[in-house]
Amino acid sequence: MIFITGPLYSGKREYACSLLGCSSEELERHAVWDVQELAAGCADLDALAEELAQHEVVIATEVGGGVVPVDPDERAAREAAGRLGCLLAQRAERVVRVFCSLPVVLK
Amino acid sequence: MFTLVIGGAASGKSGYAEGLVLASPHRPRYYIATMEPLDGEARRRVEKHRGMRADKRFETVECYTNLASVHLSGRGTVLLECIGNLSANELYSPKGAGNRADAAAAIVDGVEALLSQCGDLVVVSNEVFTGGADYAGGTEDYLRLVAEVNRTLAARADRVCEVVCGLPRFYRGAAG
Repeated sequence: MIFITGPLYSGKREYACSLLGCSSEELERHAVWDVQELAAGCADLDALAEELAQHEVVIATEVGGGVVPVDPDERAAREAAGRLGCLLAQRAERVVRVFCSLPVVLK
Repeated sequence: MFTLVIGGAASGKSGYAEGLVLASPHRPRYYIATMEPLDGEARRRVEKHRGMRADKRFETVECYTNLASVHLSGRGTVLLECIGNLSANELYSPKGAGNRADAAAAIVDGVEALLSQCGDLVVVSNEVFTGGADYAGGTEDYLRLVAEVNRTLAARADRVCEVVCGLPRFYRGAAG
């Protein structure tokens, strides 16, 4: 599995398409994205990461950069999203961060 | 040489970008100021940045919208600061483009116009994309605009770096 992360709107899916040699319409057959949203309220993040790792490519948006949210649910969701990213990176053969459409290999 | 310098708030991106301009052999040095001094805080920020440029012989050109309308008298080095302000002006100022597509075109075309008129160009932009998307109202539109302009300029630039604590990390090209 290849894990692609990066800031909002940084060109992560576009990069995945170029990596897989597929169109944006074909991407859902190979990849899953916005997985940070699946982390909120998830009882078993390890199981979720294991399940997601079955895809060729997993894409998550970094959401942990701003100020800690006042709302407890938002805070928990952000925490879970970050944790999920770590679990995915552990399972990935390759981890790439996309910044302004420019990929940087982290692992 | 076209360098895109991106950084978070108070990351030292302005100071680093100024250093790149000072190292360029092309004169005169132009500073394109984009922040409309609408209130006291904005005026104080303008004064702070003017102070940083004192004695560095920058010619300040004020441009809040329609960047392509800027005409430079000589083929020098240009510091454009910053994409975050220009994006807000184009989206929300009465004189701005008004919608995201036209705003993006106005800024990108404006940068192209600057490139055709100068020896070296340094553009400062903002890293505001790792704090989630749960903002109120039109902020998502603004974020998408800045992101789109950043990606387009990054594809066009000779060098792209992110400044953290005043130190550049190059994604394309290298320092020096």
